[in-house]
Amino acid sequence: MKTVREKAPADQKSRENIALAAAMVHDVGHGPFSHAFETVGKRLGLKLADHEVMSDELIRNGEIADILNNDIMPGFASNVANMIKKEGKITLHNSVVSSQFDADRLDYMQRDRLMTGSKHSAIDLTWLLANLDIGEVTTGIDDTEVGTIPTFVIGPKAIQAAEAYVIGLFQLYPTIYFHKTTRGAEKLFAEILVRLVQLVQDGDSKRTELPSRHPLIRFAEEPESLETALALDDTVVWGALQLLRDSGDALLASFADRLLNRKLFKCYDIRADIAHRYDPRSTGDPQNIEKIEKSCASVMIKLQEWQGNKEEAVPRIIVDVAEREPYKAGGSTNGHNEQINVRTDGGELIDIQQRSEIVRSLSAYKLTRAYYDPDDNEACEIIAHVIKGEIN
Amino acid sequence: MSDIKIDKVVDIINDAGKKIVGRTRLQKIAYLLTATGLDDNFTFIYKHYGPFSEGLAASAEFGALFGKLNETKAQTQWGATYSTYTVDDDVPSAEDPSRHTLASIAAASDSIELELAATALFLFSEGYSDPWEETSQRKPEKVTQTRIKNAKALLKELSKVPVPNSIPANLFS
Repeated sequence: MKTVREKAPADQKSRENIALAAAMVHDVGHGPFSHAFETVGKRLGLKLADHEVMSDELIRNGEIADILNNDIMPGFASNVANMIKKEGKITLHNSVVSSQFDADRLDYMQRDRLMTGSKHSAIDLTWLLANLDIGEVTTGIDDTEVGTIPTFVIGPKAIQAAEAYVIGLFQLYPTIYFHKTTRGAEKLFAEILVRLVQLVQDGDSKRTELPSRHPLIRFAEEPESLETALALDDTVVWGALQLLRDSGDALLASFADRLLNRKLFKCYDIRADIAHRYDPRSTGDPQNIEKIEKSCASVMIKLQEWQGNKEEAVPRIIVDVAEREPYKAGGSTNGHNEQINVRTDGGELIDIQQRSEIVRSLSAYKLTRAYYDPDDNEACEIIAHVIKGEIN
Repeated sequence: MSDIKIDKVVDIINDAGKKIVGRTRLQKIAYLLTATGLDDNFTFIYKHYGPFSEGLAASAEFGALFGKLNETKAQTQWGATYSTYTVDDDVPSAEDPSRHTLASIAAASDSIELELAATALFLFSEGYSDPWEETSQRKPEKVTQTRIKNAKALLKELSKVPVPNSIPANLFS
């Protein structure tokens, strides 16, 4: 914000206050276990499981709205919600809340490595902030130009710091956010929540063994209610797991026990297996890459079909697919700026990918995994068999 | 992982005249087909750029990977990348005249105006009493009087196509 204040042409105190409030409350809508809960919402079409929707509701209509509107000024809550949703008037202050150098990213990059004990992905925050400048970048939709928006750009002296930032953020994905054990636990959690909601909505809530007024039961009964969604947090789920172990439903009982006692499913790294078979020396040959991509997608679809055709109460193979681009080059579309522009010594703005060979050479990190019960040899053999069938 | 429905994306591109320029256009065309009851394969939520379906995006990606549809990427004058989707000529022509007409009109429209039109229709379905005002507030950088006028005209033109769920007349009157 100091950079904005120094570089912005006029007094914009009100925008500054909106950005500060937005930075503080932008994540208030996260449900239990954050993004894992969102996957439950996507599978079941539960709007309030989407933290952006929930945050928006809470800021515009809840207790937070009362505080923002009454203690600061009428209409302030809407302004804050709009800035978080990247809607309304775009000023440089939006970049503090949402951009490659937004406050959230610069914070969580440091916090997550600290809290997980990781030593890599360090960034030179002081130098990055000292070299933040502002510039105007063009936005568009598809092939149509919309106009320009103000955003942060990096000064020429901080190109190495910006490279380290791009690489550092990228590497947090394979090492922390996409860690196979964490994802495995998230998969079990999602299966539990999906089954629980389905049972309740099918009128079979007694099978869960949760009391009728339990927050999870109430949420499943009224998923559109802000009050019931708000009552959910991590502790509610942890507490429920003890009761769910006694559930009459095999999935709930089994997976709750697994989560509580850390008896997670084992991870089969499909992509690693396929990549080794097609390209054992990691040459990066485009033909090999195409084969790997097609085979991974095909194996994933076949395993999903295999599981879908089973009528067993407890899933035996759970597929996991995710991807992270290190950096999306080439300007912004849809008025949302995710580009890092570097100001040259001559004052031109160029994309960091154009300026940096390191950033240019990075490719997406993709994962294609299957989780299975380590005692279920048949499931493991099925995965291996499907992979083998795809390769031959 | 979203349900992958490659054939359904191919159908949409085929219905639009075998070519759709831009991911946003693909999303908005699919949404208009869905909102009018001509398609029910994808679920849409509101994103920064209007109605969006993760299932559609994933299906298009898989379709391109398996060669069921073609996705070519090109660069805009300002350096951004956009996609063009096509299906091969040997894909049988569209069978449903309503789908073909609606998707073709939308595919030929300006992408900003198409986004505004789809957004207003989505917001209307969400219960907003004045979806154009809401659209204007949410997208001030895209909204001009001319674009709103053209977006309404686009909805009016689309409303002439016989569909199960009509586009409400108060959105373009």
